[in-house]
Amino acid sequence: MIGKLIEMTDINKTFPNVRALEGAQFDLYPGEIHSLIGENGAGKSTLMKILYGVYTPDSGTILIKDQEFKSLTPKQAIDLKIGMVHQEFMLVKDLTVLENIILGFEPRKSFNRINFSATNEKIDYYIHSYGLEIQPHKKVIDISVGEKQRVEIIKTLYRGAEILILDEPTAVLTPQETLKLFSILNLLKDDGKAIVFISHKLKEVMEISDRITVMRHGKYIETVRKSQTSIPELAKMMVGREVFMNIKRVPNTPGDVILTVKDIFVPGDRELSKLKGVSFDIHKGEIFGVAGVDGNGQNELVESLTGLRPIEKGDIIFKGHSIRNLSSLKIRKTGIAHIPEDRNKTGLNNKFTIKENLIANLYRKKPYSKWICLKNSLIKEYAEGLIKKFDIRASGIDIPVESLSGGNAQKVIVAREVDLNSELIIASQPTRGVDVGSIESIREILNEVKKKGAVVLLVSADLEEILSLSDRIAVMYEGKIMGIVSASEATELNLGLLMTGGKAIEKE
Amino acid sequence: MKKNDYVNTLISIIISFLLGGIVIAIMGYNPLETFSQLFQGAFVGNFNLGCTLEKFVPLVLTALAFTVSSAVSVFNVGVEGELYLGAIAAAWVGFSVVGVSSPVHIFLCILLAMVVGALWAAIPGILKAYFKVNEVCTTILFNSVAVLITSYLVSYPLSGHLGVPQTPPIADTAKLFRILKPSRANIGLFIAIAVIIFIYWLLFHTTIGYKLRSVGLNPNFSDYIGIDSKKTMVGGMMLSGAIGGLAGAIEVMGIYGCFLDNFSIGIAFDGMLAALIAKNNILMIPVVSLFLAVLKSGSLGMERFTGVPKSLIDAIIAMFIILATMEGLFLFKKQRKLRA
Repeated sequence: MIGKLIEMTDINKTFPNVRALEGAQFDLYPGEIHSLIGENGAGKSTLMKILYGVYTPDSGTILIKDQEFKSLTPKQAIDLKIGMVHQEFMLVKDLTVLENIILGFEPRKSFNRINFSATNEKIDYYIHSYGLEIQPHKKVIDISVGEKQRVEIIKTLYRGAEILILDEPTAVLTPQETLKLFSILNLLKDDGKAIVFISHKLKEVMEISDRITVMRHGKYIETVRKSQTSIPELAKMMVGREVFMNIKRVPNTPGDVILTVKDIFVPGDRELSKLKGVSFDIHKGEIFGVAGVDGNGQNELVESLTGLRPIEKGDIIFKGHSIRNLSSLKIRKTGIAHIPEDRNKTGLNNKFTIKENLIANLYRKKPYSKWICLKNSLIKEYAEGLIKKFDIRASGIDIPVESLSGGNAQKVIVAREVDLNSELIIASQPTRGVDVGSIESIREILNEVKKKGAVVLLVSADLEEILSLSDRIAVMYEGKIMGIVSASEATELNLGLLMTGGKAIEKE
Repeated sequence: MKKNDYVNTLISIIISFLLGGIVIAIMGYNPLETFSQLFQGAFVGNFNLGCTLEKFVPLVLTALAFTVSSAVSVFNVGVEGELYLGAIAAAWVGFSVVGVSSPVHIFLCILLAMVVGALWAAIPGILKAYFKVNEVCTTILFNSVAVLITSYLVSYPLSGHLGVPQTPPIADTAKLFRILKPSRANIGLFIAIAVIIFIYWLLFHTTIGYKLRSVGLNPNFSDYIGIDSKKTMVGGMMLSGAIGGLAGAIEVMGIYGCFLDNFSIGIAFDGMLAALIAKNNILMIPVVSLFLAVLKSGSLGMERFTGVPKSLIDAIIAMFIILATMEGLFLFKKQRKLRA
C-alpha cells in the first residue's frame, strides 16, 4: 500500500466555552475520496481548518508526507499542496473569476505587470481536463453558486493543490449540480488527487466516498470503507442512537382557501422585480412547500407575505381580506406567524435573554403587561412553560440567546411562533443549521400544527424536508413559480428539474 | 459579566492612581499627601462637597442622555446642544413668567426645557432613522447651531441689557433650592437621582424599554416582531434630548440663575466620556460620574495646598480612560476569537 499523505492523531482544540475537538484523528491516502461526516458542531470543519492552518490545535500531531507538524499556517498548508473550499466562498465579488483565481499568486512579467496570458492557458487546462466549466472573464457577482464553487476548486488547483478539502460543498447545490460536482471529483480522483469531503448528507456520502470517517461531539468515532457500511449504520454512528428521520406526512383533507397570492411583483435588494408574477392558493389543513435553490425569490416571497418588504403589484388575500403592504404588526394580528430564514439576524435578538425573546409577541398584551409595566413574574412563568413544552435545553431563562446551540435557538423561535396558535405559520428554512435531534422535533411540531387544522407555508432548500412534510409543493426559479406538484407526484428528479428552470417530466 | 465590569472599573481606577502617584513622586511631591488633599478638597466641608455634587449633576445627566440614545444605537454627540437649548428655554420661562407658585414655575421651566431638548434631538434622529444620515456628523454640526442660536437669543431678543451677554435673572420662584451652602449645590441633585432611577425602570421594566432596547440591539428583529424600529429610534433620541434639556435647565435654575452665553464648556462631552467609560451601563454611570466630579473639584484644593499642578489630574483621568478602553480592547479580541 502507498504511504499515507496525511495522518492527524489525537487532536484537541478548545474554544472559549466549547471543547470543539477531543482526541480527533484523520488520515488520507493519495487518490481517494475520504468523507468526514457528523452532525452540526461535531467538529468536522474545525478539524479540517486545523489541517489548513486556520486554527491552531491545543495538542496533537499532524503528519503530512512524513513531515511532523504541531500546527500549520495557511501559507504552509498551501505550500504542502493542501487546498480548501470553504463553506462560505472566499471570493472577491467585484473582481472577475480570473482575477479571483490568481489573487495572491499572480504570474509576473517585466515591470511587475501581471501575465494574464500565462494564466489563461493554465486555467483552460483545468477547465478541459476536469470539466470545471467556468467563464473566466465574468465578475464573480454575476455567476451562479455552482459556478462559484467550481471557481473555488480551480483556485485551489491553480495553487498546486494535491489535497482538496471540500467543506459541505453540496449544501448550496441542486441535485443536478451535485451530480456534476461528483463527476468532477471523480475525475480529480482518477488524476491522483486526494479529496476530503465534509458532509452530513448520508446519501451523497455513500455515493462518492471510498472511506468514511464519522465524528460526534468532537470525538473520532470510526472509519469505515463504503462497501462495508450502510446509511442506517452511519446515521446511528453520527447521532449515537437509532434515528427515524422518516417523519411521515400526515394525511390531510384540504379545506377552503385561506391564503391567495395573486400575481405579485416584489423588488429585491438589487433587482427591480425579484418576484415576477407569483400566484398560488393555500387551503386549510395543508402544508404547502416552496422548494428551490436559495436566492430564487423565496426570501422575497416570505418577506412580502409578512410585511417586511413592499409589494409593487398584485395582491395577497388572507381570510378574505387583503394584507397587501400592511405593517408586520398588523399582519401578525390577522393571525400569521413567521419563522424567519435567518435566526441570528431576524428571528432572535441575540443579546436579549431567552425570556425576552420568548415574550416578543406577547409583551405588550395583557396579562404580561399592564399600561407600560411589564409583569416579570408572569412572563417568567410563561417562558418556563414554553421551555418545558418545546424541550428547549438551556441552563436558565435569563441567559442571552447567543449562548444557545443552533438547535435550541431555533426552538426558541419555533416555540414563540407556534404557541400563538396562528392560523397560518410561514416557516422559512426552519431546520437550517440545526442538529439532527432538533430537526426531528421541529418537523414533528410542524406536523402537529397541521393536525390542529392550521396551515404551514414551508419554504426550504432541503428537498428531503419538503418532500417529507408537504402536501403540495411549489418550485421557485428566478422569481417565478415553475410548477406546483402534489406530494404524490413529486420526486427529487422532478423537483430538481423544476428548480433549474426545466419542465417536470410528465407521468406516464 | 456584570460583576466583572465593576471590578474592572475599580482596578482601572486604582492603577491610574498608582501611576499618577509614581509621577507625583518623581516630581518630588509626596503622593499620599497629594491624594489626601485631593479627597479633602472634594469631600471635606460643605463647600467642597457641594462643589463636587454641583459638578456631578450635569455630568450624570448628560451621561444618561448619551446612554439612552446609545440604547437605540444612536451615537448622540449632540447632548451639548440640547443642554444649551434646554438651558435658554428654562431661563426664558424663568424670567418671563411671574406670579405663579414656585413648584409650578419650576415645573414649567423644566417641562419647556425638556420639550425643546427633545424636539431638537428629534431632527438628527429622524435624519438617521428615515434617511440614514450619519448621526455623528449631524449632531456635531447641530451643536454649533444650537450654541449660536442661544448666543443670538441672549444678545438680542432675550438680552438682560447688562453689558454682558446674559438673560435677565430668573424669578426667585423658578430657582432650585440650594443645599450645602455656601456652595451652589441644589435640589437638582435629587431630580437627577430620580431621573436615573426612572430611566432604569423605564428601560428594563416597561414595554417602552423593551422596544427601545430591542431596536438598539437588533432593528431587523424589531421590524420582524412588529416594532416600528424607525419611530422607536426617533423616540429614543427624543428621550435623550429631553434629559439633555433637563441638564441645561438645572444648570440655569440651580447654579447660574440666568442664562450666560457659552456657560458650558463641554459639560456634555465629559458626560459622554463618563457614559463611554461606564459602557452605557446605567448603574455604572453615577459611579463614574462621581469619580470624575471628585477629581475635578478636588484638584483645585490639591493644587492650592501641595503645589502639584491641577493638570496632573487631567493626566490621571486620561490614564483612567486608556485603561478603561484597553479593557474594551481585550474584550474585543476575545469576541473575535470566539467568532473565528
